[in-house]
Amino acid sequence: MTERTLSGIGVTPLSGVGTVVWYRPDADLPEPPAPVDVDAEAELARFEDARAAAEDELEAERERTAERVGEEEAAVFDAHVQFLNDPQITDGVSDAIESGLPAEHAVQETFTEFVEQFENMGGRMGERADDLRDVRDRLVRVLSDGERVDLSSLPEGSVVVAERLTPSDTAQLDPERVAGFVTVTGGRTSHAAIFARSLALPAIVGVGEELQSVEDGTEVVVDGESGDLVVDPSDERKEAAAAAADVDIRHEAVETADGVDIEVAANIGTLADLGPAVDRGADGVGLFRTEFLFLDRESPPDEDEQYEAYVEALESFDGGRVVVRTLDIGGDKPVPYLDLPDEENPFLGERGIRRSLGPDADLFETQVRALLRAAASADGANLSVMLPLVSTVEELRAGRERFESVAADLDAEGVANELPEFGIMVETPAAAFMADQFAPHVDFFSIGTNDLAQYVMAAERGNERVSELGDYRQPAVLRAIDATVSAAEGEDCWVGMCGEMAGDPDLTELLVGLGLDELSMSAVTVPQVKAAVAETDTADARDLAERVLQADTKAEVAEILTLDQ
Amino acid sequence: MERTVTVVPEDGLHARPASKFVETANKFDADVQLGRADEDDLVPAASMLAVTGLGVGHDESVRLVAEGDDAEAALDALEDILSTPEAKQ
Repeated sequence: MTERTLSGIGVTPLSGVGTVVWYRPDADLPEPPAPVDVDAEAELARFEDARAAAEDELEAERERTAERVGEEEAAVFDAHVQFLNDPQITDGVSDAIESGLPAEHAVQETFTEFVEQFENMGGRMGERADDLRDVRDRLVRVLSDGERVDLSSLPEGSVVVAERLTPSDTAQLDPERVAGFVTVTGGRTSHAAIFARSLALPAIVGVGEELQSVEDGTEVVVDGESGDLVVDPSDERKEAAAAAADVDIRHEAVETADGVDIEVAANIGTLADLGPAVDRGADGVGLFRTEFLFLDRESPPDEDEQYEAYVEALESFDGGRVVVRTLDIGGDKPVPYLDLPDEENPFLGERGIRRSLGPDADLFETQVRALLRAAASADGANLSVMLPLVSTVEELRAGRERFESVAADLDAEGVANELPEFGIMVETPAAAFMADQFAPHVDFFSIGTNDLAQYVMAAERGNERVSELGDYRQPAVLRAIDATVSAAEGEDCWVGMCGEMAGDPDLTELLVGLGLDELSMSAVTVPQVKAAVAETDTADARDLAERVLQADTKAEVAEILTLDQ
Repeated sequence: MERTVTVVPEDGLHARPASKFVETANKFDADVQLGRADEDDLVPAASMLAVTGLGVGHDESVRLVAEGDDAEAALDALEDILSTPEAKQ
């Protein structure tokens, strides 16, 4: 059979090979019986029971999603519970039952009316229509003891193909058994896409109606990078995809071809990111963005909750280092319960360490207590902490003194604690210029390239009009990195990098050549970077770095890097 | 008791803000209705369907009308939600 290719939107840079399992949750209901046969009272009771059962399911899925994916994604289930108990819905269903319909048909009719209403309104309302459909299908399934594909126990190597996957659906998928998924509808920011990224599953969304022509049991290759779905793939295609899918994962530490250790770690925001980080072979965590523990909630996490989170991260890696960045709030990360001022230039305003030493001193103290305690836990020796957005030596000293004075308080209270390895983020030009002054006071630097590029080039992150300028391949950014690494040479200070640049396998050789000891990135690209490290020879890499540092334009940098490939 | 409020959350009365709004409206011993500030029609604030169905966006004004023992407290709480920007990542 000859292969054919359908295209959609790839949402993860991963490939998978597997067998299509169609998931069609909304199979048609049988014709309703004649009204005289319907016992309205019994049907009303069935509806009430189903509503209670559906609510229990939703609560359970909410929990599971919060744990596996994150609070943000879990919140959609709250909306589902509200639709489930909405007076307009319950009244509508009761009326339909009174008029002689069995419960499942009454549910179908009532919800479908609202679904259509929302769909006709278009835009954001379309998403609400999806939520309503999701709740409707759940109720109908509960009522009719519905037989449908059980997403939680699919055969290994299944590629789930569906019109759409709702949050309820994705919450049930077992990432160990699923080779990927493909949907007719959806975009890069759909629930399914976010879910795929956080669990590192190959996925394509928005393929369109053509997808209906792919039958159950067909073999496919899902290329989540290009967005191509290859149906009935040739053997070569399958081998290439399978090779891309597994050669790369190395669970052991990696060294260059000539034997220099390079730590390859993952950036995490929430505890849900730990599983994928371990699965993709990260040596540890190079950046734990703790502000995510503080976002999307009504009040800040207390000391014990934070302690538990840091300990869980430490326990996830067998001896791997976990670098925790203290609160980096402000800039583009508002927190509802903090009274953050409106600033004209938030990226140049009170954020990061500036808030921790200022208005957020209490929050900072709580975090420092939790960190000092975590450093005394079983795996605590692997804990490192770093301060964000440092630009003066005074900030570094003040931050460090805070850790020391809080440690003294804990000692006085008789609470076990240890001072963890201590470092700073190098994200401001000031920190890069002054790196030689900072180096004697710290155990490590971690270069945050997203912010460093923004501040060195005075080009706002996320502003497309200046994205060329804000590129980390700009010679000025590379020189700032070089200055930082050089300043640490000869001091007892290792240098790491977190940020998108560290996760770009095309730049791994250059970064090794510049002298980075550690690279930290989103879990997805850990295997590619580990493979690139293993192929690198440090003498060649240093030579490459020297040539690149002589380049006077970004174009020239890119050219040298391409020739080197 | 009546109040007009401008909707601050980026998302308008959708998703999370709507969810919080409905949850809060259900907590109080008061019958709360809402509508667009420039229209006479009102819908129950306790219904997620009705609230999201209004399609109120960021920066639009809504009218809140409450009756009952907790009317004032309910209006205060709901106004608070509508005037708080949502966290984004």
